[in-house]
Amino acid sequence: MSKSGFGIEIEGITHGYVPRSGKPTVALDNVSLSIAPGEFHALLGPSGCGKSTLLFLIGGFQKIQQGTIRTARGLVSEPGPDRGIVFQNFALFPWKTVIENVRYGLEKKGIKGSEAEQRAKHYIDLVHLSGFEKAFPTQLSGGMQQRAAIARTLAIDPDILLMDEPFGALDAQTRRIMQEELLTIWRGTGKTVVFVTHDVAEAVFLADRISVMSARPGRIKRLVSAEFNRSADPTIHKSPAFNDMVEQVWEMVRDEVDQARAQGH
Amino acid sequence: MREILRWLARLSPIFVLLLVWEAVALAGLVKPFLLPAPHAVAGRVWHDLASGQFALNASLTLYRALVGFVLACVIGVPAGILIASERWVRWLAEPLISVGFPMPKIAFLPVFMLWFGVYDLSKIVMVCFAAIFAVVAAAEAGTRGVDKFMLWSARAMGASRADVFREVVLPAAMPQFLTGMQIALPVSLITAVAAEMLMGGAGLGGAMLAAGNYADSPGVFAGIVETSVVGLVAVAGMTALRRHLLRWHAEFNPRG
Repeated sequence: MSKSGFGIEIEGITHGYVPRSGKPTVALDNVSLSIAPGEFHALLGPSGCGKSTLLFLIGGFQKIQQGTIRTARGLVSEPGPDRGIVFQNFALFPWKTVIENVRYGLEKKGIKGSEAEQRAKHYIDLVHLSGFEKAFPTQLSGGMQQRAAIARTLAIDPDILLMDEPFGALDAQTRRIMQEELLTIWRGTGKTVVFVTHDVAEAVFLADRISVMSARPGRIKRLVSAEFNRSADPTIHKSPAFNDMVEQVWEMVRDEVDQARAQGH
Repeated sequence: MREILRWLARLSPIFVLLLVWEAVALAGLVKPFLLPAPHAVAGRVWHDLASGQFALNASLTLYRALVGFVLACVIGVPAGILIASERWVRWLAEPLISVGFPMPKIAFLPVFMLWFGVYDLSKIVMVCFAAIFAVVAAAEAGTRGVDKFMLWSARAMGASRADVFREVVLPAAMPQFLTGMQIALPVSLITAVAAEMLMGGAGLGGAMLAAGNYADSPGVFAGIVETSVVGLVAVAGMTALRRHLLRWHAEFNPRG
């Protein structure tokens, strides 16, 4: 895969929708953001701030109404295997085994037979799921399902990894372990990651930079450079510097959470 | 062995019912004409089995029920998918389904007799018409309920829209398709028997009608027993099919 000097360029994205019953709502208001190649970028904000909408627009799953999103492959207009995605609810195919799930994207790329088998096994191994290749997703715990979903997405070797609160459905211990493993994998692959979360500590722990988003209409309120992802040091959570940073970012988010609550989220 | 014992224990309510029934009959509390004793009914069932009457009637009823059922599935599943996927089809179909679903479909039998004659065709159309609503409604709900994120995942892995339909929508909606069929199958059998009872001739329903006309109580009860057994076997077959097709589904994979 050719690496270009291009991450993601988001320019003037405004996005609205009309809920089933209610007046038109502006989810994103003139959002511009430049994400460097290989950057781990977190979109942080209260629920309803449009952070997932922004992620889905980058993924090409929703039609861009106003503005442009550009990646190394050009303007985003529809989904493509250059942008892999991991959802909070895993979205595995439950009728396929773990290895069949991982092979699905490979087969779409025209990789078949023993090569697909080998590559699938490699990524299953990478997320520590070896031995569960033949299990169906419903037979696995939430954490293991998310590992399978991550393996499935990594296997297609996307330039960009989009993650929509991927650890939101997991218990606290599993979440911590998954965060550490994700960092290790990210460091090994050098992919551009856009990671949506409402967990301040998670954003500070994982990201190079954090976009703190405002309550609806969603805007990027502050761009914060975090510096805690250089080592997957599990003791980092205890360090004063880390906790100061979390406090600092939390202060920025707090107003927005209050506002979001006033809006009824 | 343990399995068999457990299974027999599970059937004990039926044995108790039969014992009470036999006792009431033997004690002479009711006239045999009103309520024939179980042993008399069993004798008749045995006679039907030995004479080949049962095989003849059951196969005829099953033929009508299953052809109607398969037609309902073959038409109903695509119709449900179409209703779920095309807004204008949904707009057209929804009022029709709302009116049709609670309607007593058997009321159409005279119409179908008029259109399709008094032999198999009218009965098969009757079965199909009665069974199709459940199939359509379940297929529509199943198609509409497919997780959007699953569809997006497939697209992001390079699947075309046609791929997504074939490789994601159909398998993801399969449990609901099967649920619709599981409801439709007993409806098909009931409708086939009811149509036979109204129209006469051969078949389990027709045999019961004839027995009733001859004041042959054991014959009527034997028909009820035979119909129940046929229904039970058919439903068990459908359940086994579901179990086989949905090996991957959470309902068959309880997590410890």
